[in-house]
Amino acid sequence: MAERNLSQIVAQLKKSPSMSYSDANTLLSKAKIALLNLKALTPNAAVPQSTLALARETYEQGALFAIRARNPEAFTRYVQQLQPFYELPSSRLPPNLSERNKVTGLSLLLLLTQGRYAEFHSELESLANREGGGGDVEGDKYLGYPIRLERWLMEGSYDRVWKAMKSSEVPCDEYSVFSEILKNQIRSEIASSSERAYPSLPISSTKSLLFLDSEGDVISFAQHRGWIVRDGSIFFPDATEGEDGTHTKEMSQMVIENALGYARELETIV
Amino acid sequence: MPGKAPPKSDKDAKGVSKGKKGGKDADEEMTVVVPPSKKQAQAADGDGDVEMGGEEDKVEEVDPAVQAVTDIKSNFALLDRAVALFDPRFSLRALRSISLIRKRLTPDIIAQAIADSFPATAASAKSAKVLLAAIDRADTPLGKSSGSEMEIDGDAKPATKNGSKKEVKDLIPEVDIFLGILIQVYLFDSKQYAKGARFSEQLTDRIQSLNRRTLDSLSAKVYFYFQLFCEHMAPLPPSPESPIVAVRPILLAALRTAVLRKDIDTQASVIVLLLRNYLLTSHINQADLLVSHTQFPENAVNNQVARFLYYLGRIRAIQLRYTEAHEHLTAATRKAPGSNCALGFSQTATKVLLVVELLMGDIPDRSTFRQATMEEALHPYFLLVQAVRVGDIENFETTLADHADTFRRDGTYSLILRLRQNVIKTGIRMMSLSYSRISLRDICIRLHLGSEESAEYIVAKAIRDGVIEATLDREKGFMKSKEVGDVYATREPGEAFHDRIRACLALHDESVKAMRFPMNQHRLELKNAQEAREREREMAKEIQEGDLDEDDLGGDFEGM
Repeated sequence: MAERNLSQIVAQLKKSPSMSYSDANTLLSKAKIALLNLKALTPNAAVPQSTLALARETYEQGALFAIRARNPEAFTRYVQQLQPFYELPSSRLPPNLSERNKVTGLSLLLLLTQGRYAEFHSELESLANREGGGGDVEGDKYLGYPIRLERWLMEGSYDRVWKAMKSSEVPCDEYSVFSEILKNQIRSEIASSSERAYPSLPISSTKSLLFLDSEGDVISFAQHRGWIVRDGSIFFPDATEGEDGTHTKEMSQMVIENALGYARELETIV
Repeated sequence: MPGKAPPKSDKDAKGVSKGKKGGKDADEEMTVVVPPSKKQAQAADGDGDVEMGGEEDKVEEVDPAVQAVTDIKSNFALLDRAVALFDPRFSLRALRSISLIRKRLTPDIIAQAIADSFPATAASAKSAKVLLAAIDRADTPLGKSSGSEMEIDGDAKPATKNGSKKEVKDLIPEVDIFLGILIQVYLFDSKQYAKGARFSEQLTDRIQSLNRRTLDSLSAKVYFYFQLFCEHMAPLPPSPESPIVAVRPILLAALRTAVLRKDIDTQASVIVLLLRNYLLTSHINQADLLVSHTQFPENAVNNQVARFLYYLGRIRAIQLRYTEAHEHLTAATRKAPGSNCALGFSQTATKVLLVVELLMGDIPDRSTFRQATMEEALHPYFLLVQAVRVGDIENFETTLADHADTFRRDGTYSLILRLRQNVIKTGIRMMSLSYSRISLRDICIRLHLGSEESAEYIVAKAIRDGVIEATLDREKGFMKSKEVGDVYATREPGEAFHDRIRACLALHDESVKAMRFPMNQHRLELKNAQEAREREREMAKEIQEGDLDEDDLGGDFEGM
């Protein structure tokens, strides 16, 4: 009974991805209660295969809805609940790779936008070792996307990141949720590297450099970052001034400290 | 990894079969590389060269099997001493000798040793039965030597005499476990993994119930083989169904018990095994949590420390904490045994270290690749370093494609993928050093970047990251390098100097800590002092009695 009920809810969720988050949430809560009745919230040995598959689908749908509603906490929670299901042997639960990759790719992207690179790479490592060969990871539609983005971000090829987000390269709708965050992220990255790299920049070319739409945007962005706009150019405030005095003092103090330390150590040795 | 080099010897082949990480096998690999002792040479000759074997036999007149049994039994004396003196060094010595015996182990020899050493009492018979059942020799009679050969009797006597000196009625459990380890070794060498795992589980249960501190170093070994068996069983490690996942709770329980009992050997060994276990299935987060929640025993055996550092280094490298990774891996390669016995470990650790060095933007020393033992194994990495050093992205890609399988097998593939950006950065640095001004178009062409735009962003990022000292001119589209300042005017040399001094001081401290003094030596000194005092007292007495003249008097009293 409960199982039929559950499969109905899952079907309903799948059918209408544009459902509002609150509606979806009520359905998801019902599904979770049904799972609880079936004792299938976590995969234990007694649960039949069909229920396991349903449980997995419930969580996957939950994760996708959470992303659509821009709710990263809920998404992370669903992804963690999914982990034990993904760890199950394929004889116990036949894997549904495309859904799985979709969710994993999204969680990678989330880690990327939050700047949690260590976790990103830990996750990546486990992907590479999954299912024996890791060769198809980069080729995968869903997984390859965040991996490529990360590489470009690290390299500094921001224009490629930009292109990847803009065009029809995004593998599915859920991924474009992150585009806005990523756009802001790369813009501030570019801005901070420009501060160091250019003595000055003409406003007209800054527009294309920062992927902004108009020169007015450039000026407001420049003011926001504390840049000086003069004669149609942007000048960057020099950040390194006035540090020399404290610097040298620190250095001599350090030398004295070190020398004293050596003396003490020598004393203990001799 | 020894697996990469074309197997030159029996040892290399074994390295391959043992899987990815040669280091684990450091202890066993000793078997082959240790200069063959007289006994071993003799055994080998018996197998291979018939003529030579005959000659040797005439000289020594000992059957190899009998010799093996004797060798096994000679270790019992060591174990006895270890228990009597409570000194783990003797058990370690016994464990070390396993490598010498290993090649000659057969069920018959082990059964013989068991039969000879276990008295036929009911209690010990039970544990002996378990051991015998594991090697399919359950029907061997206990208590007395089979007596088919005179030599056995002759050899058996000293062993039993040694045993009876300490405990007349029963065998010490250490010997029992030691025989268990021998059986594990035999089962492993004969590839009976499933059986070995079952047997190991029984053995660990027994160790847990015994709770004897003198068993510590032995039990560490037992767990080691337990894990090794599981690794070799049906679904091999990267798959989540592998038996190593099932072993984790047992190992974790063992770790908990070991910590509570302050059993340093087992603690160190089990932590290392767990880390290996997690890394084999790429559960990096779990491994990281394990490290942060446990404290690796400070005075663990050097080999375990080296392994621990290696795993820690790998975890940190994956987490992009390169500085820490570099530190740990350097320490691991330095702590690895210098001789050839742990070559696999040194190679594996060096590989990861090289990649981490590259990721940090350093170029590894050329001499690393010149060492005779490393040269072949490190060749793909050598090509990689060359590509990175020059900043040639095309060369880098081809190397990566050519040796992808090797890198995957070494577990460094995903780390190497991250190197791409370093190649680009080095390329930019080379260019900034060679040209005072270069157009973005040229940079783009030379580094094979996608577009001029990309090149601009990449160079800007490199400037921000402090890779190069330069400025960009957007309108004219070129990069202008700044004059490089005098390095000696900065604090850099001072810092390098300070680091070195600190390393030397730490080394000094560690060597002082590592010094070992003979036990009870101070008591001897005390005794000497006591005697001296007695002598003085006697002298004083004599003085009082007026036997000595005044001149001596003064001097003596001053001495007092």
